[in-house]
Amino acid sequence: MELIHNLSLGFGVAFTGVNLLYCLVGCILGTLIGVLPGIGPVATIAMLLPATYALPPVSALIMLAGIYYGAQYGGSTTAILVNLPGESSSVVTVIDGYQMARKGRAGPALAAAGLGSFFAGCVGTLILAAFAPPLTELAFKFGPAEYYSLMILGLIGAVVLASGSLLKAVAMIVLGLLLGLVGTDVNSGVARFSFDIPELTDGIGFVAIAMGVFGYGEIIANLSQPEEDREVFTAKVSGLFPTKEDFRNMLPAVLRGTALGSSLGILPGGGALLAAFAAYTIEKKTKLRPGEVPFGRGNIRGVAAPESANNAGAQTSFIPLLTLGIPPNAVMALMVGAMTIHNIQPGPQVMTSNPELFWGLIASMWLGNAMLVILNLPLIGLWIKLLSVPYRFLFPSIVLFCAIGVYSTNNNTFDIWMVGAFGFVGYLFYKLGCEPAPLLLGFILGPMMEENLRRALLLSRGDWSVFVTRPISAGLLAAALLLLIIVLLPAVKAKREEAFVED
Amino acid sequence: MKRRTFAACAGLAALAAPFHAAWAQNYPSRPIRLVVPFPAGGATDLFARELTQAMGEKMGATFVVDNKPGAGGAIGSTAVANAQADGYTLLLATTSTHAIGPLITKTPYDVVRDFSPIAHVGDAPSIMLVPVDSPAKTVREWIDLARKNPGKLNYASSGIGTIVQLTAELFNAQAGVSVTHIPYKGTALSIPDLISGKVDVLFDSLPTGMPHVRDGKLRALGVTSLKRSPLAPELPAIAETVPGFESNTWFGLYGPKDLPAALVARLNLAANEALADAQLRARFAKLGIEPSSSSPQDLAALQAQDTAKWRKIITGQHISLQ
Repeated sequence: MELIHNLSLGFGVAFTGVNLLYCLVGCILGTLIGVLPGIGPVATIAMLLPATYALPPVSALIMLAGIYYGAQYGGSTTAILVNLPGESSSVVTVIDGYQMARKGRAGPALAAAGLGSFFAGCVGTLILAAFAPPLTELAFKFGPAEYYSLMILGLIGAVVLASGSLLKAVAMIVLGLLLGLVGTDVNSGVARFSFDIPELTDGIGFVAIAMGVFGYGEIIANLSQPEEDREVFTAKVSGLFPTKEDFRNMLPAVLRGTALGSSLGILPGGGALLAAFAAYTIEKKTKLRPGEVPFGRGNIRGVAAPESANNAGAQTSFIPLLTLGIPPNAVMALMVGAMTIHNIQPGPQVMTSNPELFWGLIASMWLGNAMLVILNLPLIGLWIKLLSVPYRFLFPSIVLFCAIGVYSTNNNTFDIWMVGAFGFVGYLFYKLGCEPAPLLLGFILGPMMEENLRRALLLSRGDWSVFVTRPISAGLLAAALLLLIIVLLPAVKAKREEAFVED
Repeated sequence: MKRRTFAACAGLAALAAPFHAAWAQNYPSRPIRLVVPFPAGGATDLFARELTQAMGEKMGATFVVDNKPGAGGAIGSTAVANAQADGYTLLLATTSTHAIGPLITKTPYDVVRDFSPIAHVGDAPSIMLVPVDSPAKTVREWIDLARKNPGKLNYASSGIGTIVQLTAELFNAQAGVSVTHIPYKGTALSIPDLISGKVDVLFDSLPTGMPHVRDGKLRALGVTSLKRSPLAPELPAIAETVPGFESNTWFGLYGPKDLPAALVARLNLAANEALADAQLRARFAKLGIEPSSSSPQDLAALQAQDTAKWRKIITGQHISLQ
């Protein structure tokens, strides 16, 4: 059993005092920066990178990886408690998580996120350990045509995200696509809608939109009301832990989320991100059990599924990094830098040339996930106390941390102005009753879709049939069509409207 | 009018000279900020950190690396162009910010007017990569393959007007072949498509490309430096087949315009001393960078020569932002 041998080698490396300590430090740091809105793992790892020079390479990478998945845990805390998605993957967690918090069920929401993430993290790590090399082949099967079809599927799924008016949801997706157009076009090199502002040639930052529309918008809306009407969380917090009923609802959602996250995470082109969206969409399309809270109003499945998916995806996104040396996101790009600093050539040889690093890192991920659960579950009570902080103290802190966070990503004040501007946009959306989640999905998927569509057509010299002659692409498009029919079916439509009227 | 301005400037410079001399003796009295116009963790950033650490030891100074990424390096470069010429704000420029960038887009700075060259600190050659099942085993065979299939082959790049694209276009022009451009958001993202043969060739940096060559998934046909590179001595120079072919990414240390000559000399000396260190050279090799030693004039000449070379390719191959 090679796997067992490898894993024992890995645990041998990870279970040393020093490495356990760095793993713990990474997890604590990660949780902390995840909780602080706006300060993401990218900025933190970038800042800590030079400090790891002095550490042994394995310890350094274990710590940096800990920051990454620790931030995933911490990020869900902010998403649930203060309606702030710190990362693209927690955008969907906000939808039902925040509603649960408003109803005094922040505890079960946080526990669902934590336990779901832990389970998904364990499965993801196991997949990474057992199947990394064969799964790499899947990444080769995915060309521009396949990515484009996957994005189409994701975009149609975005419609399902909205709980209110279908028209408004579509409008928000389109607005998101339009915002995504800002910046330098990969195919022509032209800076679109940048108005000669150099900062805009790189496009609008995701964090700026998310912080502005969700965070600042909500704060403005809250402050515009007289003090006694302001959003206060129910004083009676009904239990810190999920009930038996909650667990029964959660379990299948966690399993589905984990499966989706583990498989999509392998794709270097934004797979891990799509996983959270896809998981939520699937939950929303499965039938509600009698007595279950509808989605968009605090359904625990709406927290458990996307959180499991994004954590499983976070683990399996190490596969393209470790086996191909291809960083699927900004954090992974920094990990490549960290390996280079420590004289490790990232790429397919890592596994054979540095087995103690490869397996040590994998084992440490499992240990780290265990530490995070132990760290986070008892902390739930503490986080909830945070909500009893008077709003006049809470909101300036959120404003401040968001500002620090967006500044730290590019060391540029321009981003802070962007958050401010999007805050007003967010307030407008609030007044108009438009939900921002589909906007963000359109914003993320739009540019990737365009890029892959044009690349596929460039490669086929303008022949559109590539999308249906390549089997994986055709399959994804068929799934998209099916989803579209489900969305447009009169019965479903009637049900959507019915749900809307109830408000 | 022009003459009068010049005279006034010369007068000012003469007045300022003694002050500068005294000042330069105390320099550096506080940390020196090196602006890296690219994100943390990338090759340029890692290079900057190694370089400034060594330079700091030579000068008895502390350097702080300040990453100001964005707009292909234009944001960080602009910050330095507008900084005070007191020797406490420097820039690590590259071919992208100081030769190609201004030819492709409108930059808020003028490379020659707004900066003081200090030293040319390194060169990074690229390698020509093809999938391992490509019928071409040498540069010559690749050219033949491309001639037999005009307009059918594709090259990947990290976008319009990047050094990766221009290197490929330089090759196309000099070898007389026509290969279609497929832009990506970074060369790393194009590697799966190159390995699976969806694109046919990529000119990429050594640290990104070589691991796949060693893993047997890609084949390296040659290196883009004029002579064989000590970083990969086993690879022939492309120039051995296509005479005169050369494309390097160079790295240059710049200060804001009118940096006092004494400070330029001081920094140039520190950079050259640091780059001579054998240990540092070995570390740079991991980043795919060959250190170089030079005078400030060498950097100015290199910048001018490279700008002229790429301008010719950009006009000759009709590369423009449509």
